[in-house]
Amino acid sequence: MSGRWRRLYNGETTVDFSGRRWWGFGVSIALLVITVVSLLFQGLNLGIDFKGGVAWEAPATKELTIDSAREVLESNGVETANAKIQTLGSGDGERIRIQVGEQTPEVRDAVQGDLAAKSGVDSLEVSVSNVSSSWGRSITEKAIRALLVFFLLVSLYIAWRFEWKMAIAAIAAMVHDVAISVGIYSLLGFEVTPATVIAFLTILGFSLYDTIVVFDKVKDNADRYAAQRVSYADITNVSMNQVLMRSLNTSLAAVLPVLSLLVLGAGVFGAVALQEFALALFVGLLTGAYSSIFIATPLLTIMKEREPKYRPLVGQMSLGTDMSRLATTGAPVSRRSARATVRDDDGGVERPEPELVGSAAERAAAVLTHPPRPRKKRKR
Amino acid sequence: MRRRLVFSLVGIILVAVGTLTANLIAGNRPSLGLDLQGGASVTLEPQGDYDPEALSVAVEIIRQRVDSIGVAEPEIIRQGDTVVVNLPGVKDQKRALEIVGRTGEVLMRPVLQSGVPNDNPSSTTVPGGGSTTIPGATSTTAVAATSTTGVATTVPAPGSGLRFASAATSTSLVEATTTSLIEATSTSAVESPSPTVAGAAVDVTSTTTADILLATGDTTTTTVAPATPDISLTNEPDKIAFLNGRDGFVYYAGPAGADGQVFKNDAAAEISAGGWVVNVGLKDGSEGEGRWNALANECFSKSQTCPTGQIAIVLDGEVISAPVVQTNNFSGSVQISGNFSESEARDLAKILEFGAVPVRFSAPTAQTVSATLGQDSLDAALVSGLVGVALVLLFLVFYYRRLAFVVLGGLAVSAMLQWSTISWLSARNGLALSLSGVTGIIVSIGVTVDSYVVFFEKLKDDVLAGRTLRNSATRSFQSAWRTILAADTVSLLGAVVLWFLTVGSVRGFAFFLGLSTLCDMIVAYFFTRPTVILLARSKFMNKGKMFGVSARRVLDGETSPAGGAQA
Repeated sequence: MSGRWRRLYNGETTVDFSGRRWWGFGVSIALLVITVVSLLFQGLNLGIDFKGGVAWEAPATKELTIDSAREVLESNGVETANAKIQTLGSGDGERIRIQVGEQTPEVRDAVQGDLAAKSGVDSLEVSVSNVSSSWGRSITEKAIRALLVFFLLVSLYIAWRFEWKMAIAAIAAMVHDVAISVGIYSLLGFEVTPATVIAFLTILGFSLYDTIVVFDKVKDNADRYAAQRVSYADITNVSMNQVLMRSLNTSLAAVLPVLSLLVLGAGVFGAVALQEFALALFVGLLTGAYSSIFIATPLLTIMKEREPKYRPLVGQMSLGTDMSRLATTGAPVSRRSARATVRDDDGGVERPEPELVGSAAERAAAVLTHPPRPRKKRKR
Repeated sequence: MRRRLVFSLVGIILVAVGTLTANLIAGNRPSLGLDLQGGASVTLEPQGDYDPEALSVAVEIIRQRVDSIGVAEPEIIRQGDTVVVNLPGVKDQKRALEIVGRTGEVLMRPVLQSGVPNDNPSSTTVPGGGSTTIPGATSTTAVAATSTTGVATTVPAPGSGLRFASAATSTSLVEATTTSLIEATSTSAVESPSPTVAGAAVDVTSTTTADILLATGDTTTTTVAPATPDISLTNEPDKIAFLNGRDGFVYYAGPAGADGQVFKNDAAAEISAGGWVVNVGLKDGSEGEGRWNALANECFSKSQTCPTGQIAIVLDGEVISAPVVQTNNFSGSVQISGNFSESEARDLAKILEFGAVPVRFSAPTAQTVSATLGQDSLDAALVSGLVGVALVLLFLVFYYRRLAFVVLGGLAVSAMLQWSTISWLSARNGLALSLSGVTGIIVSIGVTVDSYVVFFEKLKDDVLAGRTLRNSATRSFQSAWRTILAADTVSLLGAVVLWFLTVGSVRGFAFFLGLSTLCDMIVAYFFTRPTVILLARSKFMNKGKMFGVSARRVLDGETSPAGGAQA
């Protein structure tokens, strides 16, 4: 295990997240701009559950191909210009899926029968779903309303459990995640189905969960350094380095099953419904893990630095060894040496490898609430 | 302390294994949603103004209809205004959707003829208690089935119903349990709807309550049929129709003289004169009392349009009851009596109540999923889910070494609890595990594993800071528990909001999210906490490499200050 990995493993990294906050903001702003542009020009590829319409799904055979499916539609008097016909899955499980606008029940049944005849199966083997556009609208409205209520309640909860500035930062990170996920869907033209909406909701939960774990640590550390003159940027830096391994672990543990769904379930087995879920989840888990570190916490830092307590300390940063010392001993280094470190850092590209500092006694003092009891004096 | 930990650990394992065994013995299995086993689903949305109470009656009527199709595990949920009917595993999907999607329409039709279709002899056994069996002495045909006919002995002669009227201040319509027997298949009459054929096909074999059914016979049919030659098997209100009765009879009924809206919304089943009767009020004016009395008059006088004197109460093409009219002038209310059992009377009351304020549904979304597609999705989800869990466990073993077995145990306990809850709710409340639910559970593995990660990372920090493992286990759980609680509360909040404010599959997802979050909290407190604390005290964890941080390294840190940890 190399030194870098060992430090990561032991939570002793000294990455300067706060100093690089504009990197994160820059990337996010760029992504958000792309999202807005894509939404304006390309829009979202909404599934029939939102637009209304009919979809059939039948096993593909030699007789039932995309072309013959189109013929079936034409012979039943269905407009094929806007029809979406695609092949799903692979090997034995290959299926043809057709989506068109709203149709009368007679046409719906006739096409189902014809598809079954072409495919050589019983008409029960042809799946049909039929959705009116008003229904799709009402579903969307309900989901958005639920989302707003959820935002409100979550803000209240975080404000009560932590503080309101954390609530704002957490909500901002959530909105950021959903916006970017929607942007990716719009940009790549993935179809938005109810499954996608569910996946986005999961992302929200996950992003929030991640953010709260980081904030919990930030709050712990803020209390710990409350008596000292430690800048808020330092507090968040220390906290994020401490939870970095947890964030990576958790994200990996969450992504692995989703990746399995995506690769095995959708890729090998050809289950489309799974693909819809897994894709949105995969996108969202990545943005969720990213935003709790690069959006939520820097936003919180910016808001907290305006408070009278932390305002004079803005710019004071403990980097490298100093950060390590701050994390282990709980004592900030002097202001002058902090400045010196910053100047050093500006000059060189590579910061000197931080040394692990603090004796076991110092480390213990950092976590023990009471100083060790002094040795008893011997009786005369 | 130790005893309490052991108690908690043994307790949670006993609960998990106990509920699992109980569910296995009871044969409860998670029922699968239609996207996993194939089936049909339809969402019904009421149109226009409707009475909220009538909606719940409508749901009951839909439930009865679904039961009559014989679907194994129908799921009928009222979500706010909409009604969702899920029929997983239903064979004839198209027919099922048609039956569910029918409008609940109550019509009053004068009965022209009624009888038992001879292709279904078993239906001649007339249901209903208190009826005597009269041998088919007067039977003129050889149909064996017509030889036994249940006749209500309590059917009073016309006019005697007035006695009830004075007693209950309402006029009674007496249910005639048996009227006449038609020895004819209804289809033959419909295929050739000319009056002569229809007439010839009708052969009255026995008239058991002679004084009520005086006018039935060939002549009636032949004279009525030409007037309205349209004969419909479907329940079109303005046409003559062949209708199946709930009692197994086939009714040949004239155009509807009135619909359910002549009644007030107050139908009630009551006990009167020792038997169950149904009382219902009539609406005032020509639309209520006027229309009803016009129809009643026709039937009371046994005119050509209503030779049997019976009015059929028809719900969606099924004759629920066909009482004989006992008076020509109803004022204010109607009483229907007969050999009702309590449930029959309540049923009829419910239907009349619903008929008074019908709810018209539209089906904004309908879906049928073929069985093979469902099975494929289920297999794919299960296999990839298991592979996903295996990958996560492998990673944890690599990372946390021996502590990963605690995660394995925790996931097992969590899985047992979830499986039990889902199976129990499947059996009790008709919960169905859908694809979104399965996905939700797979995704929740990440959240569950996170609680362990939070705990173990904290534990590692404490041990690295120089605490003994024994000491850090208790302390780090306290701090990790706060974090887990805060994060899980938010997940629960999300689940509750989604459950109450959304519909359809999003709602199903919310349920499984909430369930897995709750299980996560229970397992973290009652399983992970005692297991890790107890392990920390045992020799097993205190030698060699534990969760990747070697005891040796910690010792180094203590003996040689500053530099020791760098090695």
